[in-house]
Amino acid sequence: MEQQPEDPPGPGATVVEAAVAVGGSHVQADLLDRLRAGDRIAFAELVNGWSPALLRLAQLHVSTRASAEEVVQETWLAVIHQLDRFEGRSSLRTWVFRILENVARGRGRREARTLPWSSAFPEPRDPADAPPSVDSTRFRGPEDRWPGGWTPTGRPTSWQPPPDDAAVAAELRRRLGDALAELPDRQRIVVELRDVHGLTSEEVCERLRLSPGNQRILLHRGRARLRQQLEDFYRDRRGPGDDRV
Amino acid sequence: MTVSELPYDAGGDSELVMVCREFVELVTEHLEGSLPQEVERAIGAHLELCEPCLQYLGQVRATVGLLGALPAPSLSPVVRTRLLDVYARLHEPRSGDRHGDQERPPRRQM
Repeated sequence: MEQQPEDPPGPGATVVEAAVAVGGSHVQADLLDRLRAGDRIAFAELVNGWSPALLRLAQLHVSTRASAEEVVQETWLAVIHQLDRFEGRSSLRTWVFRILENVARGRGRREARTLPWSSAFPEPRDPADAPPSVDSTRFRGPEDRWPGGWTPTGRPTSWQPPPDDAAVAAELRRRLGDALAELPDRQRIVVELRDVHGLTSEEVCERLRLSPGNQRILLHRGRARLRQQLEDFYRDRRGPGDDRV
Repeated sequence: MTVSELPYDAGGDSELVMVCREFVELVTEHLEGSLPQEVERAIGAHLELCEPCLQYLGQVRATVGLLGALPAPSLSPVVRTRLLDVYARLHEPRSGDRHGDQERPPRRQM
C-alpha cells in the first residue's frame, strides 16, 4: 500500500485510469486493495465511469433497454462477488468487460428464442400493406398536373438552424432518443444496430437472421418515422402560424 | 391506408421517370446502394430537378447522423444506488473490525 513508485498512473491517477493498468502492476494492486477493502468511492467511480459503455455493449446483444440494464446490473453484481477471486492477470477493465460479454451473450441467446424474428415476421413485401413513409396528403393526387409530386404545403423545407447547431442540438437529441424508444421493436432494433451502433447490414442480417430485403424494409420504416419526428420538431419550433413554404 | 401506384412507373417505353412520392419510398435502398442501375439513373435525374426531394434526402442523412451521435445511455439511478448498496453492505465493518477485507462474501453469484 505504501509503495508509490515510478508507475505512470501514480497517486494522482483516477480509479478509472488505474483500472486500465496492466495485470500485476503496482497501480492495479493498489486499486484491488482498495476495492476489496470496501472503498465505496473507488467502486462508485468505476460504476459511473463504465456503465455507459457497458450498456452500449449490452445493447448489441439484447433487444431492449431494460434488458441491457439488467445485464449491466448482473455484471456489476458478479464483479462485486468475484473480486476476491480475480487473479489480476488482465487489467480490471478487461475482466469486467469480459464478464459483461458473457452475461449479455447468454441473455441474447435466450431472447432470440422468444423474439419473433423469422417465424412470425409479417411479410411486408407487398407495398400495398406498407404504410407510406410520408403522409400521402403531402403529395398531389392522380388528377393533378404533376401526380405524385409534393404539394406546395407538403414539401420538405430546410431545417433551420441545422441539427448540429447548439440552439437545437440538445432538444433534438432528446426528441430523437424518445422517438427511437417508441419505434416498434423490430424497427427499433435494426435502427439501433445499424445507425446507433454502426453495424453493417451484413452483420445485422446475420445477427438477427433477417433477409437483406427485410432488414432494409425495417430500416427504411424506422428511419422514415424518425425523420418525420424531427420534422415535427422543427415545425413545432417555428410555431403553428408559420407556413411550411 | 393509401398508396399505391406501382413503384417507379415507366413513363415512356424505356426511360424510367420517378415522382417524389416514389422517391421517398426508395431513399433507403438508394443510400444502401441496393437499387438497379436504371433506377439509380432515374433517381439522379429526379434529384437534379427536385429541390424538395433533395431536402428530404438530406434530412434522412441528418437523421442517421444524429442517431450515430446520440449520447451514451447511463445507468438508471435506482440500479446504480442498488449496486452501491450491495457493495457497501458486503463490506460493512463488523464489531471492531474496521476493514471489511477479512469478511467473506455471504453468497456467490452464479
